[in-house]
Amino acid sequence: MQPTENVLEIRDLVKDFPGVRAVNDVSFDIKRSTVHCLVGENGAGKSTLIKMLTGAYARTSGRILLNGEEYSPRSTRDARQRGISTLFQELNVVDQLTVEENLTLGLEDTTFGFLRKTDKINKMVSVMNSIEPSIKPRQQVSTLSVAQKQIVEIAKAVATESNIIIMDEPTAAISESEIARLFTLIRSLRENNVTVIYISHRLDEIFELGDYVTVMRDGKHIDTKPVSQVRDRSELIKMMIGKTVFEQYTPRAEEAKKTTLEVKHLSNHKLNDLSFDVHEGEIVGFYGLVGAGKTELARAIYGVDTYEGDIVFKGRKLQPSPDKAIAAGIALVPEERRSQGLFTILTIRANIPVMNMKKISRGGFIDAAQEKQVADEYVDKLRIATSSTEKEAAQLSGGNQQKVVLSKCLFADADLLMLDEPTRGVDVGAKSEIYAIIRQLSAEGKSILIFSSELPEIVNLCDTICLLYDGSMKAMMRNGPEIDSEKILHIVTGGE
Amino acid sequence: MNVDTKLMQKKPTGSRMGKMSNETFITLFMIVMLILVFGIAALVVPNFYLPQNMLNLLANNWFIVIVGIGVTFLLVTGNFDMSVGGVIALTGVLSVYFCQGANVSQNVLANGLGLPYGVAVALALLCAMGVGGLNAFFVARLKVPSIIVTLGTAMLARGIAQVITQGAQRNTSLPDVFGFIGTMAIPATTIKISVLVMLILVFVAFIFEKKTVPGRRTYLIGANSEAARLSGVKVTRHLTSLFILSALLAGITGILLASEFKAGVSNRATGYEFDALVVALLGGVSINGGRGSVLGMFVGAIILSVVTSASTGLLLSPDWQFILKGSVTFIAILAQRFALEHRKV
Repeated sequence: MQPTENVLEIRDLVKDFPGVRAVNDVSFDIKRSTVHCLVGENGAGKSTLIKMLTGAYARTSGRILLNGEEYSPRSTRDARQRGISTLFQELNVVDQLTVEENLTLGLEDTTFGFLRKTDKINKMVSVMNSIEPSIKPRQQVSTLSVAQKQIVEIAKAVATESNIIIMDEPTAAISESEIARLFTLIRSLRENNVTVIYISHRLDEIFELGDYVTVMRDGKHIDTKPVSQVRDRSELIKMMIGKTVFEQYTPRAEEAKKTTLEVKHLSNHKLNDLSFDVHEGEIVGFYGLVGAGKTELARAIYGVDTYEGDIVFKGRKLQPSPDKAIAAGIALVPEERRSQGLFTILTIRANIPVMNMKKISRGGFIDAAQEKQVADEYVDKLRIATSSTEKEAAQLSGGNQQKVVLSKCLFADADLLMLDEPTRGVDVGAKSEIYAIIRQLSAEGKSILIFSSELPEIVNLCDTICLLYDGSMKAMMRNGPEIDSEKILHIVTGGE
Repeated sequence: MNVDTKLMQKKPTGSRMGKMSNETFITLFMIVMLILVFGIAALVVPNFYLPQNMLNLLANNWFIVIVGIGVTFLLVTGNFDMSVGGVIALTGVLSVYFCQGANVSQNVLANGLGLPYGVAVALALLCAMGVGGLNAFFVARLKVPSIIVTLGTAMLARGIAQVITQGAQRNTSLPDVFGFIGTMAIPATTIKISVLVMLILVFVAFIFEKKTVPGRRTYLIGANSEAARLSGVKVTRHLTSLFILSALLAGITGILLASEFKAGVSNRATGYEFDALVVALLGGVSINGGRGSVLGMFVGAIILSVVTSASTGLLLSPDWQFILKGSVTFIAILAQRFALEHRKV
């Protein structure tokens, strides 16, 4: 086969769903042996496009040329045989099996239905060893970290001679140091003539890693160009949302305000003697790597997990139970929105008032008209993109789901709002809207705690920044022009 | 970006018209199914469409509907209650035992505690709620799967009933008042008190699930119990109340049935927990929790009633009735799921 310059050529591609054109007449090329980034807000059509490439969806019309030949996969298996592998956000590894079994899963050699050991396994294991020697073939996958599981999948893709690997937000759930390793791996893949299609909401990664970038918006192709020709982040963001967004922290004067929350010597299985105060109108950010204790701290304050020490809110000691915390005026936007925050099979209308049913009921009876009015009000206020409040929450995109969870917590009328990873998996536009709401609440005198593993989020938003490492508070500092991201990264990775 | 102006903007709210919810869709679908089944039955069974027979269709299954209410609520929270049949038997037997005269006969099965009927009923209902409390303790507090716990307590309840009746029944030395409530009809009609109780309970349950805050919490727990807890719902307490309520409804059924037959029979209501489950599923209650309604369950019960009644009318032997009931239930639930999945979004 004569290698063409373009490994993939996408021509006039269209995908229709009932009522929506998810991908609208998209055409662009992907050059061989490059890292090609795909960016766009949630709902821009990236995932749909990827699913057509991997054979999960059939296209409505248009053409895809792979190495100059017509390509229309009927299944993901089909796509893999043609050399396209995908690293999904929800990794395709089986926890109960060993690394070796996972590598050969779906590719087993059999004789009369019995598994046969072949050199295929040896080849895969040696590929994996060359990438990451610390993973043992006989190790059970459940004992691996997310980053290591990704490496198992990448090894599988490489060993099956994939020449295109699609990665869907591979850095969403892994730590900074693991990200650095992943990037090194991606660069070496590129040197070995593998094309990587890379999807991420973290724009800095595109400048660090990408050769080309394609921007999509509302199902349409906006532009494809070399990353070197993109001026800066705000140019990308502009293309993604069609308008400029400013994300910049403006230091606020430090005033003597009332203390709302006092945490004194808080310890539990994960936390180690944490003490701090939070004041009216203050935004406090907790930053640390995965496993530093951010979520555990939020859960302790909220009364979900047990602890030793005292948590005093508005002068009263908090009872350890979420319903008591809510009654006292605390609300939590939990880390996992689908499993902890949202009632996906219920309507948007039913989701929004759950933390403050009193406000929409009289003597235990729900006032349906008021419930509807509240739902409409929040859909407008937070610009939740939906045709009706009677839609099930499951049908919304990630960003809009997060806005529903946020609405829920706002309706609780809390004086202390805690947000755990408030913008994870949320697109740029929704992100800055959520930030604006947080700033607005703080201006109204509410105290806000933000738990995040995204440093820009912490630095752009918070008045006070607390750095956590392994359950301990390593530093607490006022945000301002002198804040130094490198120093922060140094501390949260265990440095002094 | 200016949030202040955005927060101020309010569009007129009337424009967002909701589509029919999945629940309404299923209930309507099952009503259509009911009309279909009724139509077929009316064609093949003579006199099936007579008003009296139609009234019987509503009235025949009153006991399944009453226990079905509790079973439906628990199913909506994602829990099973397989103990209702056992509780019906236990409560019936206890109400008889408490009420039978003390030391009136040589026959052990004729001697009871000699309590007044009202006290006997109250105590029997308390025992029923005790079984519900036991279910709640294991399921809500100790997090044991409900199907295991309630199958266990079902056997426990029936076992106690069998011990008290020596594996048979108690039906002698009962005061006349014992038989009143179960056999009495509403004046000037042929409708039994039990049927009236059913209608009232269905109405109250419907208001409860659709209009009240605790009703809403039932759905929240079923949709996502962790999110419900983090949203301030007292999940353990709520589940406890529902298990006790379900047992109480089964207890009421037990009292009414014992009164109707003037006997406490230890093998009464065998398999009712499955019938209650079937009518709930026929009515579109999701086995995974979070969806369903008492009204749907009621429609499901009438469908089952139509099939039973039609097979009796066709003079099918009870063995064949089971096959017919099983097939119709199976087809109806499959059709319902198929229709739901192929609904245009």
